[in-house]
Amino acid sequence: MKIKVVKRYGTAFKDRLYIPAIIEGLKITAKHLFKNVNDIKSVDVLEYPEEQPRDISERYRGLHRLTHREDGSVRCVACFMCATACPSSCIFIEAVERTDGIDEKMPERFAIDLLECVFCGYCVEACPCDAIRMDTGIFSVIGSKREDFVMEKEQLLAQTGSFGDTFSRCHNAGEKQDD
Amino acid sequence: MSQVTITVDAQDYRVEEGSLLIEVLIQNGIKIPYFCYHEALGADGNCRMCMVEIEGQKRPQIACDTIVKEGMGVRTKGENINGVRQRILELELINHPVDCPVCDQAGECKLQDFYMDYGLYDSHIDMRQKIHGKKHVDLGSNVMLDQERCVLCARCTRFTADVTKTHELGIIGRGDHARVSTMPGRKLENPYAMNVVDLCPVGALTSKDFRFHQRVWFLKSTPSVCHGCAMGCNIFIDHNKAKYKEDTIYRFRPRRNDAVNGHFICDAGRLSYKALQENRQKEFELGGDSCTEQEALEAVKTAILEAQNITILIDANLYNEEIERIIVFASGIGATVLCPSDCYYDESFGDTWLKKPWRAANIEYINRTEIEHRLPEGSVDLLISFNHPSSKTVDSRLKIIFATHQGHKADILLPISLFSESSGSLTNIHGMTQHCEKAVEGEAPDLIRLVDMIEGEL
Repeated sequence: MKIKVVKRYGTAFKDRLYIPAIIEGLKITAKHLFKNVNDIKSVDVLEYPEEQPRDISERYRGLHRLTHREDGSVRCVACFMCATACPSSCIFIEAVERTDGIDEKMPERFAIDLLECVFCGYCVEACPCDAIRMDTGIFSVIGSKREDFVMEKEQLLAQTGSFGDTFSRCHNAGEKQDD
Repeated sequence: MSQVTITVDAQDYRVEEGSLLIEVLIQNGIKIPYFCYHEALGADGNCRMCMVEIEGQKRPQIACDTIVKEGMGVRTKGENINGVRQRILELELINHPVDCPVCDQAGECKLQDFYMDYGLYDSHIDMRQKIHGKKHVDLGSNVMLDQERCVLCARCTRFTADVTKTHELGIIGRGDHARVSTMPGRKLENPYAMNVVDLCPVGALTSKDFRFHQRVWFLKSTPSVCHGCAMGCNIFIDHNKAKYKEDTIYRFRPRRNDAVNGHFICDAGRLSYKALQENRQKEFELGGDSCTEQEALEAVKTAILEAQNITILIDANLYNEEIERIIVFASGIGATVLCPSDCYYDESFGDTWLKKPWRAANIEYINRTEIEHRLPEGSVDLLISFNHPSSKTVDSRLKIIFATHQGHKADILLPISLFSESSGSLTNIHGMTQHCEKAVEGEAPDLIRLVDMIEGEL
């Protein structure tokens, strides 16, 4: 195995005094202060909520949504990959047999507790069916009690993507491909 | 039997002469992939997955059809043999639908495991070229068949042919169209049918009872013993405590014990986990109204002190330790201990293999103590029943019942834990004492703890 030896700083007398480092830090702070006071217009400020952010891109991890199939039904097959990958265990799935002949399995309940969620996007990465996405562009959810932040299947299905692609391009395993 | 020396991957092993190479490899913990071989069903040699290189042989050989010989040199790893396995795996997967997300076997599937070990190739097959079979066919006896996922290892057909001898399953068709099916108009119908689900190395046969309820990688397995009858088949209790939910048992699986049940259990025992968790007695009750533990124990104490004669009924499903504790407790308060056992006997349940007509797990231990198998005679002043099913047929002035499940009428009712919620040992009908571990965390108190507390109060 390759070993990298890292030099340790902070043992010298000058470092242990702390004062030179504090002065160095204050110098930088003062430099920015004078610069900003002199030209206040150049400071990048967003007057939220009157002004909404304009820099939410396709890759922004916003509120989750569940995608649909071409026929409008739920794409999720309740494989539990997202719930397994979730570091905060905030995805609650109850699977049930799907009887409409489209697939074998679907979620009876699919809920995400947004208060527990850390918006890491692992669920989107883990999904083998492209059934869960975080492309709604929604970054703020409002509720008056804890239960309001548990997004149920119906709420997640009702969300639409902000960046096109209403239907998923992915073909679920077992589904017929016509092209 | 004489012993021979063989060399596997440059290491020498002393093995029994005439044994199968695959058995030797499995027993010595050497990694070898296989689908069709099974210790209970023997070799079939159809899956070709267990290929090994044998010195002096031109081509790789299947380990399940090779008898060990003195001085045999075997290679189970290396680039060459891994390539062979990869190509065989690719053949097994030609018509496989790769629907792991909806497949209930995912996580305990041999195809998945071997693909991760030897596969990891890019498929040459287009999804459109695959031959489609029937999916989710209900074979009967809680077994669901998916013909597309099958690798035709014939474990299930060999089980019905050689073990149960009921011959319901067969492989029909040829080549790409070969598939497992029942005989026309017949269903899979035998009391051991669900064992084919465990035997199936892939997701072709899944349990209708278990499927979609839980992903297997969430489950924790605890070794225990089935309480369905006096046979004491070894099982694994597969349970999981989901977030914000109670610790729940999702299935029982057979645990290998050649001295008792071999590799299998009966369907009745396998499905007994459901009734176990339904209608649990959770609260202490005084005259039908719920009360605290302290109030109930207080009432038990008064009842015991005031009673003229005490009869104790003891359930033959309790652990040895619990039975011993109750006997000591009974002698302390001068009570007669009885175990009316007629209610446990069901002639129709028994068969010549694993199912015993005595439907009580610890009836043999009761036989070995001085507890009599009769109902109480004469008038009973105070009856204390430790979960005995016949307690309602006995008339008494006062009744105290320790119950796991609801449905008992008593003056004082105390909830107790299930066998899965505590540990202990059981003696089966052949006199073998086996240990059960505590699997799930229950709300109801432990029987021994309650008895200790009552005795402490007196």
